[in-house]
Amino acid sequence: MRSVNLNSVLQRLDRLSRVLIFNLSSCPLQSSKMAKVEWQSKPVKGLLIDISGVLKSGSEPIAGSVEGLRLLYESGLPFRIVTNESQCTVTVLLRMLQRMGFNLKADDIFSPIPAVVELLRKEQLRPYLIVHPDVEKEFDEFKSEEEPNCVVLADAQEHFNYDSLNKVFRLLIEMEKPQIFSLGTGKYYEGDDGLLHLDVGPFTKAVEYATGLKAKIVGKPSSEFFLSALNDLGIKPEEAVMIGDDVVSDVGGAQDCGMRGILVRTGKYRTKDEQHTVKPDAIFNNFNDAIHAILNI
Amino acid sequence: MALKGLRSVLIDLSGTLHIDNEITPGAVDALKRLRETNVIIKFVTNTTKESKRFLYERLCKLGFDLKHDEILTSLLAARQVLQSESLRPMLLVDSAALEDFEGLTNFEGEPDSVVVGLAPEHFNYDKLNQAFRLLLEGAKLIAIHEGRYYKRADGLALGPGPFVKALEYAAGGPATVVGKPSAEFFHIGLSGVHPASAVMIGDDVNDDINGAQNIGMHGYLVQTGKYRPGDEDKISPKPFKTVPNFAAAVEDIIKQMNS
Repeated sequence: MRSVNLNSVLQRLDRLSRVLIFNLSSCPLQSSKMAKVEWQSKPVKGLLIDISGVLKSGSEPIAGSVEGLRLLYESGLPFRIVTNESQCTVTVLLRMLQRMGFNLKADDIFSPIPAVVELLRKEQLRPYLIVHPDVEKEFDEFKSEEEPNCVVLADAQEHFNYDSLNKVFRLLIEMEKPQIFSLGTGKYYEGDDGLLHLDVGPFTKAVEYATGLKAKIVGKPSSEFFLSALNDLGIKPEEAVMIGDDVVSDVGGAQDCGMRGILVRTGKYRTKDEQHTVKPDAIFNNFNDAIHAILNI
Repeated sequence: MALKGLRSVLIDLSGTLHIDNEITPGAVDALKRLRETNVIIKFVTNTTKESKRFLYERLCKLGFDLKHDEILTSLLAARQVLQSESLRPMLLVDSAALEDFEGLTNFEGEPDSVVVGLAPEHFNYDKLNQAFRLLLEGAKLIAIHEGRYYKRADGLALGPGPFVKALEYAAGGPATVVGKPSAEFFHIGLSGVHPASAVMIGDDVNDDINGAQNIGMHGYLVQTGKYRPGDEDKISPKPFKTVPNFAAAVEDIIKQMNS
């Protein structure tokens, strides 16, 4: 039998009251109120964290997130930054985050580009790319004189246009065994200009609709991607929490593979996300609040 | 007989009255004979590019006797939706089609609707972002049609459909599709005539015949244009009639009206 420790009871009460206050102040939904108490019933042994809209908004850190990440580092709780950012390399991304004041190492970041490169290598494929020029060199080893036999779509921004999409459409309908790899299914994200920008997802849908093919998703929200990040951390899905601003890709994707998904009200978050069929295990105003709740501080 | 009280006939253009610059056998005379029955005639076509004026001039040149306002295109159906809902559109349509939207583009404030036709020059990241942001703010998405691809001189090329799907996915709402086979389109063409008292003649078993029969019209499938043997078995219920060409459809209609 476990002995009852007064301290832990007090701690629990304190946490409960904070959760309740949080719910009263900012969460009108009864169902998520119940989920809130529920989500901390299992221990949290590691975190997966989205970047855009959670740690930073455009080129600015989101208020409190540098502090939140510092607290997380100091707590020793393991984590990975999982991102579908595919318009820049991990090195560039890391440098940008460090400049903003985030204390991070290259190993902390888990990106779909190395994952897709690995996959192409393994299957010995010759990709045709619609990617941002900044990441093209990551695919240098696949340069070939021969016709491509698959297509890789990443967040290519202005490189998505009628001609580039028409080109991949024509290539795909000519291929013997056509394959599309899409780095995530993101619909949109908040850009450096503070405006919302189309992500790779809509363009993948366009190519899928035109060709009748189904793309293979590398990156969030594919379970494969989440699970390999967790594998990197050495923890099981039920021990992990994902924090993101995308109710479908971050929260839904995490929940689909057995993790708990926390939504933050920053970045691309919109009020209507709280009415979505995907129900986050918890919702916080920002990353810093989420870290405080997870670390119980 | 089924066509006793026939009041209106809707006719497809390309593939039915003509194929490129050639009329289908006997089509000009058949149209004259149909006019003598005093039914209301409308020419209905899915187009994302050709304006009403362009189509009118082409048909006149081919020798058809018709009036300008007997033509209904999917572009004009989009115009009608914009007008009836007093919408301020952002137009992603070919510049050749802009004249069909005359008078609807001078407004103050943000657009509250996005019309997508086939407009390669507008399908770039900036324009699509602009359209997407409007949709996210609640603008209505109107698709001229959802074709996946079409045949161009240099091979197959993307139609408007993929771009409609991209915007639907990003903004999370379905588009209103205004062309054939949407029920709304046929109702506009009938302008108040009961569908049971109307006939559709066309070469596309899905867009023309199934679309029309879905709202209770009688469909005459012609075996010209894009018709391929066996098309009549692809829909249920089958076309009301399957006939060799437009002239044969008219002959049968007149016979049925008088029997």
